[in-house]
Parts: sequence; structure tokens; C-alpha cells
Amino acid sequence: MRTAEYESEIEKVRALAQFNRFAAFYALYRREMKRFMKVIFQTIVTPFINSTLYLLIFGLSLGASIRLENGISYLSFLIPGLVMMGVLNNAYQNSSSSVTSGKFSGDLEDLKVVPLSSTMIIWALAAGGLTRGLIVGLITYGVGEAFLYFSEGTFTSIAHPFWLLYFLVVGGLAFAKLGIAIAFWAKSFEQVSAVGSFVLVPLIYLGGVFFSIKGLHPFWQKVSEFNPVLYFINGVRYGFLGVTDVEVLTAAAISLGALAVFYVLGLYALKYGSYSRW
Amino acid sequence: MKIPPIEIVDLVKDYGHFRAVDHVSFKMEPGEVLGLLGPNGAGKTTIISTMVTLEEPTEGAVRIFGLDVTKEPERTKTLTGYVPQELIHHGFFDVEEIMEFHSGYFGRLKNRERTDWLLHRLGLWEHRKKKVKQLSGGMKRRLLIAKALVHEPKLLLLDEPTAGVDIELRESLWEFVEELRDQGMSILLTTHYIEEAENLCDRIGILQRGRLLVIGPTRELVKELTEREIVVRLREDFPKEIVSPFLLKYDRVEAVFRVPSAMGVGELLSEVGLDLGMIGDLTVREGSLEEAMKRVLKERRPNV
Repeated sequence: MRTAEYESEIEKVRALAQFNRFAAFYALYRREMKRFMKVIFQTIVTPFINSTLYLLIFGLSLGASIRLENGISYLSFLIPGLVMMGVLNNAYQNSSSSVTSGKFSGDLEDLKVVPLSSTMIIWALAAGGLTRGLIVGLITYGVGEAFLYFSEGTFTSIAHPFWLLYFLVVGGLAFAKLGIAIAFWAKSFEQVSAVGSFVLVPLIYLGGVFFSIKGLHPFWQKVSEFNPVLYFINGVRYGFLGVTDVEVLTAAAISLGALAVFYVLGLYALKYGSYSRW
Repeated sequence: MKIPPIEIVDLVKDYGHFRAVDHVSFKMEPGEVLGLLGPNGAGKTTIISTMVTLEEPTEGAVRIFGLDVTKEPERTKTLTGYVPQELIHHGFFDVEEIMEFHSGYFGRLKNRERTDWLLHRLGLWEHRKKKVKQLSGGMKRRLLIAKALVHEPKLLLLDEPTAGVDIELRESLWEFVEELRDQGMSILLTTHYIEEAENLCDRIGILQRGRLLVIGPTRELVKELTEREIVVRLREDFPKEIVSPFLLKYDRVEAVFRVPSAMGVGELLSEVGLDLGMIGDLTVREGSLEEAMKRVLKERRPNV
């Protein structure tokens, strides 16, 4: 049945059925960008207001009475934490809400019937999440620096630009992928927001955004070491200020490990989760 | 291309204990319009879903132009355009953006000429700046078709493209389907408008409860599965009783016969012993696909 003629026809089909992967990836990434730019108030302005409030309350009001061991002002200490919190939160929000809104409107199935592979879908959505995370991070940094200048007359100098970029990118991609994984599994908006409020927010808040774990009871220090967010935040703080609660190489390795785990979770979710409409 | 656009081999799809598709096999001819008909829940949509990897086959193989959809999905999807049954929204995006993204997903970033042509051809050009929720049902349907054609597929899958669409638009959509066929595209469709399927489809497959009951050229199916009705109106009362196994009704002015589709009028008249001089009027009503379908669904109903 499988004659040579048939085989050569099949080869012709294969030659015809080519498509530009990079262009397809770029198209999806562009869509992600356009999506969050369309709701810019929610995606960019809200985080801007949030970080301003944090800086005002924690940085200026409470911060004045907090003294850190290494002579760094509390405001300087807080800025990197807030930057990374913005990156992680928004990377997660962006990719998870992209998937959930796609389930709600029904156009998520489009991704299944076009030649984009799961790998490409994950990377494109994650790159979209990372981009939004970095924009929010940059805004938070800008606001933080303004506060710092007005209260202390200085700016934060960036101690280790490479590590800073490394932790921002790895952390942003990791959380964006976690968002993808959860949103593909989820059966309702509620489930996605439950994971956000009951898992991620506590992890982020307890991950050292507002404090150094060195001030904690040794037992809680140990517990905190199991929180992956701790390594992301301390990595970024090391990038900005050169200080960290954990060894930077350990943080780098654990962050990369978290990215790998969330990536596999994402791939798994795309394969076994649902594209169907709610 | 001589390779069948679709080749389905012993396809089974189970959802838990429910078997939605039960050992279905068929091949599609290049360049044909093939219609899959059947009651709701017959498995039509599930079969189409396996072709675009929305569903994974439980058993069996689905090949698009000879390539297995589970092994080479990127290639098979590049060759296939899919119009889903359900209308969808697209959140914040307008028609033009949706077309641009969809084209991009097929690796075609600069495809303005094609997308503009499709929007014009499907009457969406004036609405290109609208969001999907601002479109009427018919326009949403046409947008789905425009999206499916953006990458110039060789095979088009239309899952009830005319559901909830008014008659005028339905006609124009079918006209468009014919135009695509004339350009060499192979088209698989499902519909509940049997009469339209009869006019449009080169071949028809009838499904019920996940089984393919019959598949074949539309004309042949109708011929094989239906009878023609011949009504003879007489000039005056018949001189004698009519005795014929084909006689359905007889009231001395009008006789109604039902004969196998293959039987000619002349053959019937000579058998009954009538000559043309006695006949005032004569009408022949050919069997329809709808009758053929009803018969198949009734007589070949699978036992489940």
C-alpha cells in the first residue's frame, strides 16, 4: 500500500506544510503585549498606585523607626523587594488572566488549532508576562527612587547589574509559567484567584519583601528557606544593594530550579489541562 | 495532490464510559465537498475535533494529507482551516486585530492582502474596527470562516457553518464554499440543512450514535435509498382496476405509484397497461436526501 510514489507525495506534503515558527511565536507575544496595553489602567496604573502606597506607609512612615544591621536605610532595603514583588505578581497575573479570559471568551481554543506547539505557547505567554512584570518593576523602581531622593537625597546604585537582570528575568518567567499552569488547570476564575490569594500572596509577603529573615526566630528562618520567593527577592536585593539573606549562587540555582519546575508544570497543564470554554 | 485530504482509520473516541465515536473509517477525495450528517450527538463534531487535535483519538488514526495528526500536528494544522460550531468572543480585540493575530499564529505576519480580501469577500470590511461583541450572529460566523482561511489551507473543516444564520446569508455562504471548491480546496462540513447538503456535497456520510452508517456519492445514496413517486392524472375514469405492486393510492382520477429510483416512467406505464392517450398529466417526484437519511437512521440504527 505504501508505494514509493505515495511516499514521494507525502514528502511533497511535508515540504508544503512549512510554517515560520519564530513569526508565530512573535505573533502570540505581540498579542499578549497588546492585551495588557488595552487594559493599561488595570495592568500598569494600579500597580503604580500600590507601590506608591507601600513606599509611603512602610518606607517613609514606619521605615523611619526601623534600623537595619548593615546601615542601609529601610527605604533602600524595601525598594528591591517591592520591585520584585511587582514583577512576580504581574507576570503571574498577566499570563493567568490571559489564559482564563481566553477560556471565558472561547478564543483559547484558537491556540490549539493553529500550529503553535505547547513549548511556543508557554514561552510566548511567559515572555508577555515577563514584559508586563518588568514594566511594573521599572515603574516601582522609579517611584521608589523618587521617594528615596526626596527623603535621603540619594539614589540606589545598582551593585550587580548582571545578577539583578538574572533574578528579574528568571523570577518573572517562573511566575508567568506558574500562572499558565494554574490557569490551564483551573475550572473557574475563582480557582485562579484562590491560588493567588491563599498561596502566592503569603509566599511573597513572607519571602522577605518587607523584612530580612535574619531577624526571625531560627525556626521561622528554616521554614522560610522552603519558600522559593525568598530566593528571588534576595537575589534582586543582592543585584541592587549587594546584600542578601541567602548565598547568591544558591539563590540563583534555586530560582532556576523553580523556573524549570514551573515550566514542566506548564507543559503538563497544556497537555492535560483544558482549552475549552467555561 | 492525490493523497486523501482526510483519512480516518478505525477511529474510536471515549469520554469515560461513553463512546462518542465508534470505529469510524473513511477517506476523503481531493477537491471534494464531503458532508457529514446525523442527529445531534452522532459524533460529527468529535470527529472533526480529532482532526485539529482538540480531541485525542482513543484508538485509531486520523491523517491529513497522509500525515498523522498526533505525530505531525504542526504540519497538519498548517494545511487545515477549522471553523468551529460555537461562536466565540475575543475580549478587547477588533476584527482586524483578530485576523492579524490569527494569521500570525500560522507564521504569516505580513498577510494584509489576504486578510483584506477575506474581509471584503465575507462582507466584514466595514466592520473591521468593531469588537466581536458588536457584531451580529451572522457576522461572527463569517469572522470564524475568515479566520479559518487566513493561511490558505488546502482542507477546510466547517462544523455547522450555517447554524443560526438567515437564509440569505446561508445561500451566500454556500456559494462561497462552492467558489473555494472550484479553487481546489477540499471541504468537509456538517449541517442540519439536509437539502442544502444535497445540493452542495459531492458525497455524504451519515452518522448515528458514533457510527458511520453509510457513506457515498450523494446522487447514488439518494437513488439507492429512496423511491420516486409518480402521479398519473387520467383524462377519464380508468376502464379497469389497476393492479400493481407499486400502486400507493388510486381514486379513479389519480393514481399514485411509488417505484424504485431506478425504474423509469415508461417501464411503469407499460407494466400497468396505460398508454399516453389516457393520461392528462404526469408528475414525478424524485426522492430526497432527507428521505434517504430518515431511512438510514431508522433501518440501520446501531444497537447500543
